[in-house]
Amino acid sequence: MTSSFFDRESTVAPPGFNRFLVPPAALAVHLSIGQAYAFSTFNLPLTKLIGITHSAPGDWDLKQVGWIFSIAIVFLGSSAAVFGRWVERVGPRKSMFTAALCFGGGFLLSAFGIHLHQLWLIYLGYGALGGCGLGIGYISPVSTLIKWFPDRPGMATGMAIMGFGGGALIAAPLSVMLMEHFKTAASNGVLETFVTMGVIYFMYMMIGVYSVRVPAADWKPAGWVAPVQPKQLVTSANVAVDMAWRTPQFWLLWGVLCMNVSAGIGVIGQASPMIQEIFAGRVSPAVAASFVGLISLFNMAGRIFWASTSDYIGRRNTYMIFFLLGIVLYSSVPTLGHLGSIPLFVAAFCIILSMYGGGFATIPAYLRDMFGTYQVGAIHGRLLTAWSVAGVLGPVLVNYIRQYQIDNGVPKAQAYSITMYIMCGLLLIGFLCNFAMRPVKEKYHYRGSIP
Amino acid sequence: MKGRLVILWVVVGIPLLWGVLKTLQNAMKLFH
Repeated sequence: MTSSFFDRESTVAPPGFNRFLVPPAALAVHLSIGQAYAFSTFNLPLTKLIGITHSAPGDWDLKQVGWIFSIAIVFLGSSAAVFGRWVERVGPRKSMFTAALCFGGGFLLSAFGIHLHQLWLIYLGYGALGGCGLGIGYISPVSTLIKWFPDRPGMATGMAIMGFGGGALIAAPLSVMLMEHFKTAASNGVLETFVTMGVIYFMYMMIGVYSVRVPAADWKPAGWVAPVQPKQLVTSANVAVDMAWRTPQFWLLWGVLCMNVSAGIGVIGQASPMIQEIFAGRVSPAVAASFVGLISLFNMAGRIFWASTSDYIGRRNTYMIFFLLGIVLYSSVPTLGHLGSIPLFVAAFCIILSMYGGGFATIPAYLRDMFGTYQVGAIHGRLLTAWSVAGVLGPVLVNYIRQYQIDNGVPKAQAYSITMYIMCGLLLIGFLCNFAMRPVKEKYHYRGSIP
Repeated sequence: MKGRLVILWVVVGIPLLWGVLKTLQNAMKLFH
C-alpha cells in the first residue's frame, strides 16, 4: 500500500483538479532545499564547538568547514545529472520523498557528526547525502510544472525556482534564532539546531510529497490550444535525454547557464568585502550584510520576474537581455566605485543579481522549448553540471584575480576593476552561445511512444 | 478544493513572507 502511494500512477490528478495546487507543492520542496544558500550562518559556530564562545585547540578551522558547502553543491549537480532519468520515470512524489529523506537525513547525520566531533560525518551527511537531496529535490517538480502549465512554462518553473532563492531568506534568520534558543553554557546550539532543522525540513517537504499531482496524459488547460504554427525556437517534437546531450543545442545552453551563473556567483561570494573595500570607510560590516540581504532578495524576485517575462518575449531574447545588460552593468561598476555613488552601485548589483536568479529560473522553459516536455527534467538535471562548474569558476576568478592585484600593489578599492571586465568577457561568451542557438535537427527527435 | 488551495498557498506564503520581511528589515540599514 505504501509503495503504491508513491507511484506515479497514484499521483495522476482527477478531472477538475486545480493546477494551481501544484506550484505550492513544488515551493514546499524548493523553499526547504534553498536553505543551502544560507549554510554560511553555521560556518563560524562550527569552528567553536569545543570552545563554545571562541575557537579552542581541536576545533575545526574555517577552511575545513567551508568544504561542507562545496561538497553539497558538487553533489547537487552530479546527483541531478545521475538521477534525472530516474526522477522522470518514478514521478515527482517518489523523487520528492527521496529528496526529503536525503536532505532531512543529511542534517541528522551531520548532527551526529557534531556530537562525535567527526568532520567527515558532516561532509558525508550535509555534503554528500544532503547534496543528493538538493539535486533530486531541485529537479523533481520541474517537468511536472511544465506539463501543468504548457501555456506559461516560464512562470510555473520560475515560481518553484524562486523558492530556492527564497529558502535562504527564511533559513538565515531561522538558523540564527534556533542557535540563540538552544545556546547553553555547554553548547553553542548548532547540534540542536541541525536536529530541529532536519525534522522541520523533512516535514515541510512532505507537504509537497502529499500534494503534488501529475496531469493525465491527455490533459490540457481549459480553452488552451497548442499553437498550430510554433515559434522558430519552440519545438513541438521531443528529444530523449540520451540524445539531447549529443546535440550542439545542449552544449550551447550549458554555456549560456555556466557563463550567466559564473558571473553572478563570483559576486555573491564576495559581495560583503567588495562593497566595504570599494567604499572604504563609508560601509560598515553591518551595512555590508544588509547589502548581501538586499541582493539575495533581488536574486529571488528576479527568478519569478524574468522567467514569467520570458513567456512573452521568448527565452532567447530574455538571455540576450541578461548578457547585454549584464555587460553594461559590470563594466560600469569600476566607474560607479570611482564616482563614490553607493546607491547606483547597489542598484547595479540588484539588477545583476536579479538576472543571475532569472538565468536559473528561465533555463527549464528554454530546455522545454528546445527539447520538448518528454524527459525535460532529466535534461535539466544534466545541464545543472554547468552550475557545479560555475560554482568553482566564478569564485576562483573573483578571489584569485583580486588577490593577485592586491599582491601587485593595486589599492583594494580598485582591485575589482579587472574582475568586472573578466565577468563581461564571460557574459560575452554566454551571449555568443545564445546567439548561435538554432532549432534541434529532426534526426535527434524521439520517435517512440510517450508514456 | 478552494479551501485546500488557500491553505497550501498560506503554508508556503507565510514563511516566505517572513523571510522577505526579515531581509527587508535588515536591508533598511543600507539606507540609513
